[in-house]
Amino acid sequence: MFSVPLSEIPRTISFRTALMFLALFGCSFLALFGYIYWQTTGYLITEVDSALHREADRQNALQPELRRQELLKHTAQDTEGRLPNTLFDAQNRPIAGAMQALPAFRKYDRPAEFMWDKPNGHERPVRFLVHPLDDGTTLVTAQDIRDIREFDELLINALISGGLLLLLVGLAGAIALGYSARRRLDMLSRSIKKIVEGDLGGRLPTRGNYDDIDRIATVVNGMLDALERLMSEVKGVCDDIAHDLRTPLTRLIAGLERAQRRSLTENEYAGAIDTAIEDAKGLMQTFRALLRISEIEGSARRSHFTPVDLNTISADAVELFEPLAEERGMTLAFTPCSSAATVLGDAQLLFDATCNLLDNAIKFSPDDSKVEVTVLADASHCSISIRDHGPGIPESEREAVFRRLYRSESSRNTPGNGLGLSMVSAVARLHDMTLKVDDAQPGCRVDLIGNAQRA
Amino acid sequence: MTHVLVIEDDPVTSREIEAALHDHGFEVTLVDNGRDGLLSAVGDTFDIIVLDRMLPGALDGLGMLTALRASGITTPVLILSALSALDERVRGLRAGGDDYLTKPFEFIELTARLDALSRRRSPTAEASRDSRIRVGNLDIDLLRRSVRRGERKIDLLPREYALLEYLAQHAGQVVTRTMLFEAVWNYSYDERTNVIDVHIGRLRHKIDGQGDAPMLHTVRGAGYVLRSPE
Repeated sequence: MFSVPLSEIPRTISFRTALMFLALFGCSFLALFGYIYWQTTGYLITEVDSALHREADRQNALQPELRRQELLKHTAQDTEGRLPNTLFDAQNRPIAGAMQALPAFRKYDRPAEFMWDKPNGHERPVRFLVHPLDDGTTLVTAQDIRDIREFDELLINALISGGLLLLLVGLAGAIALGYSARRRLDMLSRSIKKIVEGDLGGRLPTRGNYDDIDRIATVVNGMLDALERLMSEVKGVCDDIAHDLRTPLTRLIAGLERAQRRSLTENEYAGAIDTAIEDAKGLMQTFRALLRISEIEGSARRSHFTPVDLNTISADAVELFEPLAEERGMTLAFTPCSSAATVLGDAQLLFDATCNLLDNAIKFSPDDSKVEVTVLADASHCSISIRDHGPGIPESEREAVFRRLYRSESSRNTPGNGLGLSMVSAVARLHDMTLKVDDAQPGCRVDLIGNAQRA
Repeated sequence: MTHVLVIEDDPVTSREIEAALHDHGFEVTLVDNGRDGLLSAVGDTFDIIVLDRMLPGALDGLGMLTALRASGITTPVLILSALSALDERVRGLRAGGDDYLTKPFEFIELTARLDALSRRRSPTAEASRDSRIRVGNLDIDLLRRSVRRGERKIDLLPREYALLEYLAQHAGQVVTRTMLFEAVWNYSYDERTNVIDVHIGRLRHKIDGQGDAPMLHTVRGAGYVLRSPE
């Protein structure tokens, strides 16, 4: 599999986002844990303090002698020294209890802490309260708080280890995320590089889960489809141009060479030159038609559009082709629309397009057949429909016939340069019109449908 | 002799134009920019000006033409342009051009159009304002739109009549299919098979078909000419 250098990972957005969330999560973890810690330890210490106060109050209420007796008894019982309450005389000498000396304190009746050196040598944290009694003696109530300290430590340790774990897992997650994002992007960029290098059939990999990258990849793939189609069209056009112009050029050169080779009479020379000029003119016409289509496709002529009645356009075209049809015994039936069929457009171009369609219909129809031209209009659309009784266009060729210079096999022998329908299609595109080719059984039906222009 | 001013910056094209016009019997003066073109057109008398639309320098074709018309020079101008778009054509004609030809063109097309333009200016053009045109024994009544050849009355369809009228107005000159198409159908020509030939064929059948000497001739590689039989 593809590997990603570790140094690349910190640059990925995923890694940075994960890191940011880790930091956020760490902060809230600290805050939460700190709060719990503070609350818990605070509670425990408060409990101890109130116990100390209670004991002091209780002892205060006792007779001095009884107090001494009880403390002695308590000390004897409390061998662990968990509650080392001690009574000191006026000179701070211990009278009864486990402590040997009065711990340093700031104020009476205010709990404080000190480290107590136990008689057995151990050191223990002790929380104590110093209370002056009426008879001049001093009472110290105290409690060993080692358990609380240990609990504190436990909590802190848990915090640290939990935090470390969080950090580790978070970092690992961030690296994993960054790695996978990086790998995915690498796969995408590798695919794109391949496409750039010329593999136009290549597509970006998708996972099918419609995540962000998948959606972008899908859009890019759609763009690549369009690009591939355009490229193949351009290539097709180039191939077609090369192919279609080679034949007349070869014929032209062959004719000229023949004239050069043979010693001809003046008349034969004139004939050869005439033929050569005719051939060259044919080539020129093809180029002119190609230029015209490019010009139509590249133009932003919509700003010059004026309302055009398709009835007029069709009538003009039909009138122009009438004699041609008649010459071949064909009927050219024109059915105008009873109302105006007005579209916004360029009359010249629409006329040219209609003529091209009509020309095709007549060219590809058998003698003595019928070609129908119908103009239709409703509230939203206007159309010119041309129907012939010729061989029709096979389903498989209906897209191809609009390509420049495309000639279907069956039409190779009819005159024409294969640009007529491309020109029509360019005009249709410029006018936002739909160009539809249907099977009329028998024959072919072409509809040029545009948006109606309201008067 | 007809004197033509050719304003064209491309040396190859202008030499070709010069050669073609010379062969056709025109006297040619070449200029390669708009400023010199304007000076020559104002200073000298030319019968026709051939003007390239794209010219280098501050004064391009249309600018030069506008200036020319503003200074009251009415010499017919034929505009040459690589832009075939219809509105370009309209702009060219609006700026004061009399005709518009798109590159690449055939020289026969250029000379035929120049013939037509020079004819438009010559005194004989006044005759066409008459209500009658006579070519040989062909008699066209422009007001009643009726045509006779000798004693025979010829019935023509409106479009056939328009064709004949245009041909008769340019009798003796070669008229190209493109010119006919633009004049009679009011659309610019788009290299359309042999449609016009069929229309001409019908017209020819009607005027020459009854055993009269032929008047409507096809000029190979160029177009048609209406000529009196003598």
